[in-house]
Amino acid sequence: MDELELINHARQGDETAWEALLRAHQEPAFRLAFLFLGDPDQAEDVVQEAFIRAFHALPRFDLDRPFRPWLLTITANLARNQLRSAGRYLTVLRRFWQEKPDHTIHPETEATQHWEAETLWQAVRHLGFADQQVIYYRYFLDLPVEETAAALNIAEGTVKSRTHRAVTRLRQVIEQDYPTLTKGIQA
Amino acid sequence: MNELPIFDLEERLRLAGANLTYPATPDIAGQVRLRLYGRPRPQPTRLRRLAWGAALVLILLAGLLAVPGVRAQVLEFLQIGVVRIFLVEPTPTPTLPPPTQASPAVDQDQPENSLPVPPPTQLPSSTPLASLLDFAGETSLEEAARDSGIPIGLPAYPPDLGLPDRVFLQNLDGQVLVLVWLSPADPAKVRLSLLQFSGSDNMILSKIQPVTVLETTVAGNPAVWTEGPYLLKYRNGDIDIVRLIEGHVLIWEQAGVTYRLETDLPLEEAVRVAESIRPRP
Repeated sequence: MDELELINHARQGDETAWEALLRAHQEPAFRLAFLFLGDPDQAEDVVQEAFIRAFHALPRFDLDRPFRPWLLTITANLARNQLRSAGRYLTVLRRFWQEKPDHTIHPETEATQHWEAETLWQAVRHLGFADQQVIYYRYFLDLPVEETAAALNIAEGTVKSRTHRAVTRLRQVIEQDYPTLTKGIQA
Repeated sequence: MNELPIFDLEERLRLAGANLTYPATPDIAGQVRLRLYGRPRPQPTRLRRLAWGAALVLILLAGLLAVPGVRAQVLEFLQIGVVRIFLVEPTPTPTLPPPTQASPAVDQDQPENSLPVPPPTQLPSSTPLASLLDFAGETSLEEAARDSGIPIGLPAYPPDLGLPDRVFLQNLDGQVLVLVWLSPADPAKVRLSLLQFSGSDNMILSKIQPVTVLETTVAGNPAVWTEGPYLLKYRNGDIDIVRLIEGHVLIWEQAGVTYRLETDLPLEEAVRVAESIRPRP
């Protein structure tokens, strides 16, 4: 059964079809929420909530639209809501600073691809929500341009410029706050 | 040295995405299926900690009551059902800007054992909207009808509203039913929320110095319309003070139940919604 058939079955109350749909997309949704929130428990809560809301909105879902970007959009919006919540925002900030890597660690002694991945992610989290969003879609979730455009509700041609702006801002963050990452980054 | 061979930032981001260690993805699809089709959702540990924040509010009030001259500034109050709205003369405090649209007075519900107080001198410039994740006591209409004893009313207007998407039942010296409708265009947003309070001698909610108070009627019953950012007393384990909608609130009492409708609709439309409420079949 393809995705469209699953959606139609789910709309008719087929819980197995709905679960199959979610199972196919739960990993990118969870990872996206985790990237924004930095906390697996919060990410799980947000994705559960996103899936519940998607279920209620399913009768109004436009079948001409791709399903995964729609789910990711709901997930991202809820993650943003969570970040806006005062207590959670402070919690995330606190955790972020507590877990912020020691910038004095030199890559010659500590560099691994894992270290670079973690540190780059921390640098990305310095960006505004919209910049984080496009970077997560394009590079961390590896979404193609058309799905990124659908998830952001922008034209495909705009994805490139928005990505470029976000990467430019990230470069500035790295140069200012993460000098150990500048090694090898093209000017 | 394990020098990365890739020098381009975009490529390094792609590698980061591939090399980042993510937590294992939990069985969210199965959990959602249980919530939608099976037994009620087991509440996460974080949500179990949620409760009405009487203790927190008391702590806040203890600080606020230290402000001198508070009692003398009470002009009057309006009582609608279990909600009591105190109208307090603004305190001329140098550090506190006068209420404006951009920096409104805090507008909170407080329990009855509180006294009317002015807003704190240090106000947040904006208040985060609530996340439904912060609400305890999620249930269904059927279970709420069975457990609450509140004669549940549902609005028939707007025609496309339908049944609430989320239902919560909480207790604050009395039952409070929270019905939430989500925006069809953006399920992450709340379109409308309707709170229904059962009558209780012990349950008086006080609203302090709202920016705007207009007296009106709903089906001939006295009602109050307030607007401006609206803080709800709901809190969670992270000590959040939250709200659902950045908009307005209509409060009225009908047949022994106090209603509080939160919406971004104008007053006339809000009254129309209120007057369309009928007992749940």
